[in-house]
Amino acid sequence: MRWGMAIELKRCIGCDACMLACKAEHFLPPNIFWNRVLIGEKGKYPAVTKLIYSVRCNHCAEPKCVKVCPTGATQQREDGIVWVDETKCVGCRYCMVACPYQMRSMYEDGDSQYFPGQELTEHEKIGKTLYPHQPGVVQKCVFCKERIDSGIALGLTPGVDRDATPACVIICPTKAIHFGDLDDPNSEINRIIKEKHGHAFHPEFDTEPSISYID
Amino acid sequence: MSNIKPYEFMVKAQQQKDWIDGRGNFIAFAFFLGGISGGLYLASAYFDNLTGMFVAWLLSLLMGISYMIHLSHPFRFWRMFMKPKTSWIARGFIFIMLFIGLTFITLILRQWFPDATGAITTFKVLAGIFAFAQSIYTGFAVSYVSAIKVWNSAIVPVLFVTCGLTGGLAILLAITMAGDQSQLAMLENIIRVVLIALAIIIGVYLWNTTYSSAAARDAVKRLIGGSLAPLFWVGVFLFGIVIPIAISIATYYAGEASSGILITAIISEIIGGLALRFAILKAGVYTPLLPAD
Repeated sequence: MRWGMAIELKRCIGCDACMLACKAEHFLPPNIFWNRVLIGEKGKYPAVTKLIYSVRCNHCAEPKCVKVCPTGATQQREDGIVWVDETKCVGCRYCMVACPYQMRSMYEDGDSQYFPGQELTEHEKIGKTLYPHQPGVVQKCVFCKERIDSGIALGLTPGVDRDATPACVIICPTKAIHFGDLDDPNSEINRIIKEKHGHAFHPEFDTEPSISYID
Repeated sequence: MSNIKPYEFMVKAQQQKDWIDGRGNFIAFAFFLGGISGGLYLASAYFDNLTGMFVAWLLSLLMGISYMIHLSHPFRFWRMFMKPKTSWIARGFIFIMLFIGLTFITLILRQWFPDATGAITTFKVLAGIFAFAQSIYTGFAVSYVSAIKVWNSAIVPVLFVTCGLTGGLAILLAITMAGDQSQLAMLENIIRVVLIALAIIIGVYLWNTTYSSAAARDAVKRLIGGSLAPLFWVGVFLFGIVIPIAISIATYYAGEASSGILITAIISEIIGGLALRFAILKAGVYTPLLPAD
């Protein structure tokens, strides 16, 4: 089993919903993004193309971050999900330096809040209890592994059932993001990647990402 | 990375900051200390200079302290022994610890058991191996980062070792000047050769890097003509190469040099070595993700 995503670029409208859903789901502090929407352009006037890419950790099959981590804090599960064990991270930042996609963040200020000088919002208060983040460690997208694990435990199928699927996938209003098992040849995600010619983002980085993009 | 505008993130070439800003300065400093500590030990072991070996040991301890300051959770440092199979930082940490331990034993034996020549030689050689490892691993830790093309070069470890050796030789020169000066001439000759080698390696590195990718070419441009030019031309080129080589050549023809001039060369070389580490780490730029081909 290897979880992966396929993102249809023509369907993406750059609404940032995936980024916000991720922030809400994981109670991410200010300046921490596990999911971003990159907006760029290529070509010259009048032949200009706008590029919108929803990006997050690629959960690479050959992750540089796992290799460089000196403590084993950055790990890869059997289902391909790369995650950071907060209790083992020393904060050397080698993983941040080594990730060619720059999809990792260091959570430095444990007291940071969205409205400095005011009371914490209810969401921030709940987050400190439900999803506490340890300062001084590296953070990244975990493919919503909590949702996947609890969903599977309930007999649900990630990518099919909402409660077992990453937040960024289910929030997407245009259904541009697909999720599923890359190791299952009959899965919906493999069909989409095959039929629509999905490709890795910057394959030259040679890390075998689990996220494919469809032009 | 909080000062990066969200809409510019990885859309424009992005400078590496994790290993150069804030706490990141300490890892750059640790790399510098590791280089000169290794270089000084190797040079001191060759000339059998006990004070030099002791100073190398102290510098390695300082490197360890600098490393600890760099870490957000220094009390978890023991976990850094866990992954030597794949991580250069883990390997380096083990090299530093072994170097400190073996050099300590060598110093004890040399000072209080001078007749144990077999044991002294064994530990001296073992410490020498780890002095070299401590010096070269910093280069491998940097060059392993394939995401930053200006770092991802096989020349970087050679450059770091050579630079560490020049710094180490410079410190040994200062130590020799303060004590028995019989080996001063030979030491000066070695420094001349290593300095010229360093200048050539820097030149080859920059030349070679311009051909690796557009991001690397931009990084070299920043180094030699952009925002990092003062650091490169004044710190690395002037202090690290021109002043020491000029003094070295002058002393070669003059036959003898005043201590003031030699101390100028020594300080200049050390500044140059520090500037080189900072310049290379600061030059690190990530290839933008957009536009994607």
